[in-house]
Amino acid sequence: MAPKPSKASKAQPKAPEPIKEYPNIAAFHQATYENSRPYHKPLASLSATEKTHYAYARLLETGIWKSWDEFQRKDFWKYIETNKIPVPLPEPKDLGRDRNGRDISKYSVKEYEEYQKRERGLEGLVRESTRFRDRQRRLRRSGRAGEDIEGEIEEERNRRKLIGVLRGKKMGRYEEDPEWDDVVPIAQDDGEGALAQIAYTEEYSEAMSYLRAVMSTQEKTPRVIALTSHIISLNPAHYTVWLYRASTLFAINFPIHAEIEWVNDIALDNQKNYQIWHHRQLLVDHLYQEIKDDEAKLKELEDSERAFMTEMFDADAKNYHVWSYRQYLVRKLNLWNQAEIESIEVLLKKDVRNNSAWSHRFFVVFNDPKHCTEGSPATAHDPKIPDNILDREIEFAKAATFEAPQNQSPWNYLRGVLCKGGRDLSSLELFAAEFVKEGKDGAEEDVRSSHALDSLADIWAKTDVEKAKWALELLGNKYDRIRKGYWDWKIGQLMDQPVNTLEGNLEALKV
Amino acid sequence: MSSNNTSDASSATASSTSSRLNNSSYGTQPRQTGFIIEELSSESESYPIAGYSNNMTTTTQTAKIPDIFTTLPPVRDLLNTQTSLLQDQTVQECLPFHLNNLGLPINPHGLPHLDRKRHIAFLHKNLRRLPAAFTAADASRPWMFYWALAGLATMGESLEDYTERLLSTVKPIQHPDGGFGGGNGQMSHLAPTYAVLLSLVMVAGGDVSEDERREVLELVNRRAMWKWLGRLKQRDGGFQMSVGGEEDVRGAYCAMVIITLLDLPLDLPVDSPARSDECTTFLSGLPEWVARCQTFEGGISGRPDAEAHGAYAFCALACLCIIDDPHIVIPKYLDVPRLISWLSARQYAPEGGFAGRTNKLVDGCYSHWVGGCWPLLEACLEGPTTASTTKASSTDSLYSREGLIRYILSCCQDQGKRGGLRDKPSHNSDSYHTCYVLAGLSSAQHKWRFNAPARSSTERPETLSSAYQWTSEFLFDEEQIFDEEDRVLTLHPVFVIPEGIAEQTRAYFASKIGF
Ligand SMILES: [Zn+2]
Repeated sequence: MAPKPSKASKAQPKAPEPIKEYPNIAAFHQATYENSRPYHKPLASLSATEKTHYAYARLLETGIWKSWDEFQRKDFWKYIETNKIPVPLPEPKDLGRDRNGRDISKYSVKEYEEYQKRERGLEGLVRESTRFRDRQRRLRRSGRAGEDIEGEIEEERNRRKLIGVLRGKKMGRYEEDPEWDDVVPIAQDDGEGALAQIAYTEEYSEAMSYLRAVMSTQEKTPRVIALTSHIISLNPAHYTVWLYRASTLFAINFPIHAEIEWVNDIALDNQKNYQIWHHRQLLVDHLYQEIKDDEAKLKELEDSERAFMTEMFDADAKNYHVWSYRQYLVRKLNLWNQAEIESIEVLLKKDVRNNSAWSHRFFVVFNDPKHCTEGSPATAHDPKIPDNILDREIEFAKAATFEAPQNQSPWNYLRGVLCKGGRDLSSLELFAAEFVKEGKDGAEEDVRSSHALDSLADIWAKTDVEKAKWALELLGNKYDRIRKGYWDWKIGQLMDQPVNTLEGNLEALKV
Repeated sequence: MSSNNTSDASSATASSTSSRLNNSSYGTQPRQTGFIIEELSSESESYPIAGYSNNMTTTTQTAKIPDIFTTLPPVRDLLNTQTSLLQDQTVQECLPFHLNNLGLPINPHGLPHLDRKRHIAFLHKNLRRLPAAFTAADASRPWMFYWALAGLATMGESLEDYTERLLSTVKPIQHPDGGFGGGNGQMSHLAPTYAVLLSLVMVAGGDVSEDERREVLELVNRRAMWKWLGRLKQRDGGFQMSVGGEEDVRGAYCAMVIITLLDLPLDLPVDSPARSDECTTFLSGLPEWVARCQTFEGGISGRPDAEAHGAYAFCALACLCIIDDPHIVIPKYLDVPRLISWLSARQYAPEGGFAGRTNKLVDGCYSHWVGGCWPLLEACLEGPTTASTTKASSTDSLYSREGLIRYILSCCQDQGKRGGLRDKPSHNSDSYHTCYVLAGLSSAQHKWRFNAPARSSTERPETLSSAYQWTSEFLFDEEQIFDEEDRVLTLHPVFVIPEGIAEQTRAYFASKIGF
């Protein structure tokens, strides 16, 4: 505690009345003001000398002496100095509030002094910064933009940081960066009283203002990549940013592998995002043009893409966007191969109910140009498909069905395969009957799969209408009651007499 | 910068809306420990319901809740995988809501009422200033107001007070080159363009003056829109969502909605990159492209080669139903029996609602995406209603309307202070689910008819008139399980806006000459 008073007295030599302690700067100003007007008392109470001094003080205050000639002025000031007549100060003004909203008049004298020093420093920095901007603007105009004279850009960057510190409010990332000085940000026009307006953070709002600006001039430069990375980190679900980034990447020949690496991290952190996958597709389209004749590089891409998707599927094995991308990739890189099928089998081994994996398998098997007719619809018979492939797929689905008979995926798959192969559903009768035991002699039936019963109903519809009806009623009344409307509709189709007006139309549909 | 200041009057909203974004702040309906699923052992097939059996009998005796909604499915596999565990967990999550052990007032069918007041307040709140946490929705703000406005309209709320604000919201997001983006300065994109257009026509179709209606509808730059759509059209028949963006079934649907409602010329602009000798109109190759999205399962995928998905099924069917009459166009391009089989299999018991894909979980929004397919398919099967068709001869429903209504009223409503509708009980409500759950409810509560066109059956429409022949009616042949007070308004089965507005909009633009 001891050194404090000495420090305080050191800081106060400039003060006219250093002896007294003031509670705050306002009190100090008030006292200084009053001290500069010692004659503010009833005129009658002043002595003759004091009255003369008072008159001089008034002359000082009005400034009338400025209109006098030099001789008179000299005389005037001589009197004032010899008699130590104080210059009357104007009434103290309200000091307002500082950037933190604190009332400045409540500052201590010392605090106020530091405050002023800071403000003066700030003004100097701002002046210097303005000069820098003007200089840069001139350089740009004379076509010498980007010239960095003796590291002054770095110096300016630090200056702006300091300005931010002194203002107690950091400048925006782009406002602070001299490299962005040539861009005039475009603020968002939301319209008055806009619906569902979002209260963006200042960071996001500033970055978007710069994006609008670069888009308006169609700037495609490396700093746009940095800007879009920044925005994507704040809002990955922004198609405009992704699309503009992609067109910039291609315009500046940005290395695609680096971009894919970067996108991987974003994708893992944003499982639900779908812009990423379209972006990736654009990247691969582009990359493919470069490497299409290089088998080793294609293989490398295939492996790394598959590895990355495996990582994505660890978090969500049914992610629709990842699967859609994968279908794209198979076509693009001709992945009609064993590795592709095996990697699906790994997923099905983990969860035999993963319908996305089943769908993908169907796609890979039944679109392979080696044994499929190009453009054959998924629901149509393709005579080109060899029997051994059909048999293999049927066996694969059957095996999966035994694992979990009520799993609909392999049942749908089986039907799809039969349809592709132009085989009759009745070839499935014995297999389906494994899961549906008709009760003999009044005993209750035993149904382990409603999908098997559904298949049998369709099979029997052509051979034994009564049995088909029995199966459909069983479905509607016992095993799949929520779909009773549908099962009843199917019963209606079985009957010769139309049960409702659907019949005529169904005939037309060739069910 | 001041527009980013959160310390204004909206900060009260901000705190409650940000809590909405936080999944843990689940409020009055916590995930009770009683229905967290445990690892299933092989012999525990009947385990989960045990804890509820007492409750169930008393409730079901007083209220008529069919046991299909209170018991486990009759066929269950022993093998557990991630899929089956999540499925079991979801069933356990829904059962208590069906049994109504939450002590809510219920009707004689054991259903809680539609809590309109809270849902309306919830949607109004979603139209106010949103906190920074909504930044993720920055590119889909038009959805935010379409969902809220459509949801409000479905519950019979007037949108009149939003007219001015909608206009000033939409003006800065229209792109000079045609279409609308997600926000000011963003590229045009079909999804926000669809959402903006439907919002505008909903407001214009409400109780507004002729001048106001004109002002709202004339806001859209139709010529620029037509040009922009020309850039989205692809050689293979489909549409990209934005220039250089992805091509999917949403694009096909959104583009057709825009083209028909605004009565744009069907001819492709001469500078359209897709234009060729074979491809001359917006319709060229489009239904064929949609047909390529039907999968081996019978459902529809987002683009050729992908997995069948409920949301895309609706987009595909609605797109086709704009191109031509449902009974003509659907069977022409899709395998209808397989589509119906797949669609029907999306409904589960005991949950009652729809899932979007095979072996995925029930979710409230599919009440519309899957539920909304049924009126289109029923019209496809029934054919057009003519003067000679007696109205009583309609088909029985192909899906369980009761199941869907039960899932919606019992499981999808946030019955707490928050309001709004949701995916499933463990999820928080949002405006997206509120909109589409209500749309599904509306569809389940009404029967739609496709009326025979005035033209003869051999003459084909020159302009797209098929989507303007739908009328709704009440269902008479099924027992009504909801009270009349819980009936919501009808939404057009193709455009998903209140009935009557699409026709009015189309008539407005059709009466104009040129752009
Ligand atoms: Zn949902």
